[in-house]
Amino acid sequence: MTGKGTNFGFLDRCDDRVAHLARQAERYVYTDPDSCLFKLRLMIETMAKRLVSMSAPNMVDSDLSSMLGVLERLGTLPRRQADGMHAIRRDGNAAVHGNSTPSPTAMRRLKDAHGLSGWYARNIERGSKVDAGQFIPPPAPFKPTDKEDRLNKDIENLEDHIDDQRRRTREALMLFREDEDPEGVRKRYRIELKALEMVAAAAGEPLVDAEFVALVMAMDLEALFEHPSFGADSREARRNAEAQLAVVKTELEQNENDYLSERANLVHEMQLYKRRQLRGEL
Amino acid sequence: MSPDESDLELATLWFLAARAMSAADGTLGTSRQAAAGLYAQAILGLSEEACQQAKSDENIATLTLLDCLGKLAFVPREVGEKIMTGVMMISYSNFKMHPMEVRWASMLASALALEGDDFQRCCVNARVMAGMLDTHGAQDIVDAEPVEPEGGSE
Repeated sequence: MTGKGTNFGFLDRCDDRVAHLARQAERYVYTDPDSCLFKLRLMIETMAKRLVSMSAPNMVDSDLSSMLGVLERLGTLPRRQADGMHAIRRDGNAAVHGNSTPSPTAMRRLKDAHGLSGWYARNIERGSKVDAGQFIPPPAPFKPTDKEDRLNKDIENLEDHIDDQRRRTREALMLFREDEDPEGVRKRYRIELKALEMVAAAAGEPLVDAEFVALVMAMDLEALFEHPSFGADSREARRNAEAQLAVVKTELEQNENDYLSERANLVHEMQLYKRRQLRGEL
Repeated sequence: MSPDESDLELATLWFLAARAMSAADGTLGTSRQAAAGLYAQAILGLSEEACQQAKSDENIATLTLLDCLGKLAFVPREVGEKIMTGVMMISYSNFKMHPMEVRWASMLASALALEGDDFQRCCVNARVMAGMLDTHGAQDIVDAEPVEPEGGSE
């Protein structure tokens, strides 16, 4: 933890607003985890806005999800950082919509935010040395009882499971694995494509003017798209595809809802326990 | 849970064909990448596990594009058309076609023994899918210029 008992002191010189939000989130992590998540979500939105304003200023008024999408497409936001920001966005949204946030979840997202801030500061302060230091959890204002410890462990296990499932879902969706070098793989395929083309030419297949074919294909498609028979096909294809896509999307949403519900149960159990503690029943 | 052997084989074949199409043009947006996985699960009916395992080195790294074309000759016609549609969806995702994309599409169509009309139907469906899955992302974003394929060293 750097100066003045905060993990985010290094942000002061590059972005006041982000630094302020980070400190507020840090302050609330034990006493008001929901507010911690609100602040973190606002913090990454502020970061995203500034990054978008530098690379795609016309998108600066978009919602957070769209801004993150733009940054990913432009290659500004690497996959690991995107995962961290999306996790804060999702949990922040859940908190805004009334789903209680347990303290261990807020702490986990606060740690993510610390890592993201280091990356963000290095992007904003290009050329200058940024040392985010190691994240040190802020000290708890009270010592948890054994029961609270056990509940916190259950929440930690659930959060591990959620993070793991989100990572697997993303890995399944992407064309390349996170630990692969997409450029290297794609270069290999381009070499193979050229070799296949040469083999075809050597076998006497006529050389195709691919630029011309692409142009004709694009023009044909414009006409085909409106053609009565293909138009019917495309409408049917859209209906079928939409239905199939909806199934997958519903399943992914259901997974997230299940996590939220399980998380809510644990928070509820913790709240009941604290109420009984306050009433002196324990 | 381990995926079914045939699911894993189909997933590997799909990701190989899709990766080659993404390599042919040189751009690689995240939404375009994610569309490949959504397509695999929603349209090809593959499980999350199959999609994940298909990309492991032991499944995909040793296969060449020639292997891909060879195996495609044996997939059922309906599945073959779905693969063709998905690959064309990836190709259309940035509103332009690189010459090498046309060549890869042509090789796939030959391997699948698709007639002209079938191929055109796949293309039309691919356009529909590209719009639905938002493979090109926000339209007001200027597309990055495609990476030029390497020169003589290849």
